[in-house]
Amino acid sequence: MAIHKPKRTGFKLDMTPLVDIAFLLLTFFMFTTKFKSDAESEQKFEIKRPVTTADTVKLPEVGTALVKIAIDEGDTNYYYSVTNEVDREDIYNKAELPDSLREYALIPVRRDTTLLRRLVTATRFSDVERLHASEDTSLFQETIFAIDADRDLDFNVIEELMDAMRGAGATKFNFITVDQQSEA
Amino acid sequence: MGAVDLGGGDGRRGGGKGGPKKPKRVGFVLDMTPLVDIAFLLLTFFMFATTMAQPTMMEMKIPPNIEDDVPVEFDKLVAIYVDDEDNLFYSKGLDTTFTPLKVEDVQNFSVKENAKMENELVLTLKLHPEASYSRLVGVLDELNKAETILTERYQVEKDMERKRKFSIQRLDSTAQYRLEQI
Repeated sequence: MAIHKPKRTGFKLDMTPLVDIAFLLLTFFMFTTKFKSDAESEQKFEIKRPVTTADTVKLPEVGTALVKIAIDEGDTNYYYSVTNEVDREDIYNKAELPDSLREYALIPVRRDTTLLRRLVTATRFSDVERLHASEDTSLFQETIFAIDADRDLDFNVIEELMDAMRGAGATKFNFITVDQQSEA
Repeated sequence: MGAVDLGGGDGRRGGGKGGPKKPKRVGFVLDMTPLVDIAFLLLTFFMFATTMAQPTMMEMKIPPNIEDDVPVEFDKLVAIYVDDEDNLFYSKGLDTTFTPLKVEDVQNFSVKENAKMENELVLTLKLHPEASYSRLVGVLDELNKAETILTERYQVEKDMERKRKFSIQRLDSTAQYRLEQI
């Protein structure tokens, strides 16, 4: 007598919930992802920012001019970048930037404070032009200058930069820091 | 909900011959509902609770020129010094005795000194050129914390506006920068 094996029923799994979650995650990351800007992708050094606890605001993503002071290639160097990509060309023209530096979004100023002054002045000049061109002046926002420096730097480097910026008329600026909580 | 219907209702097979009925092996059924529930719960929790690491900033203001010296009365002057090894000291007025100070105490120190002279105190931070930037920011942070307390106290107790008189300079410099926090 032949023995009948019960027929094996195939393994079935409902994929619907998996797909649900997958799509949800996909949309979440699609909306939250911020791509690196030109300046950020050109940055080859890392800045260890100083840690603070109080009285800080979030750094706006647009309308800022960043001066980065980095320790790279065994030296301390200044880098300049503007986050407003529309005005970049204009600022470069106004600063009479040498052709060799034009391709950069994060300009390696090195220790050339004269060039830095020209760039800061050009940024401010471009601001004034924007103010005059804008129809509704209440919407106008001045470029915010920010200093992004490594915490291990000496004060004299900061002072030199503050001096240069004041010379170019940028008397209001910000120190970029990192929150104690996010550092932990 | 969520269960999978595998079909094959009656279990009769093999041309209808007699014999003992074997229990049909049923395919693997997994109810995904609780998993999805928990996954959603966690997902929504993290979506609301997460803040992406973002740099913050501290605002500073310096006057456009330093040619105009501001006359200051010596008895209203308090200086905090930072040496090349990031140690803190303070001195008052023309007194040249340096008293050591801890970073954690800067906040209380500022509040205490300001309480004596309402809006009159001129606080100077003098840094050695080799003092570290992190120490500068650290001291500024403590002073800002003190400022929050002072602003509140002035408003509640005296109904007046807090005006900060503060400057940063090199240890060896005579130039006077006045920095103001907004």
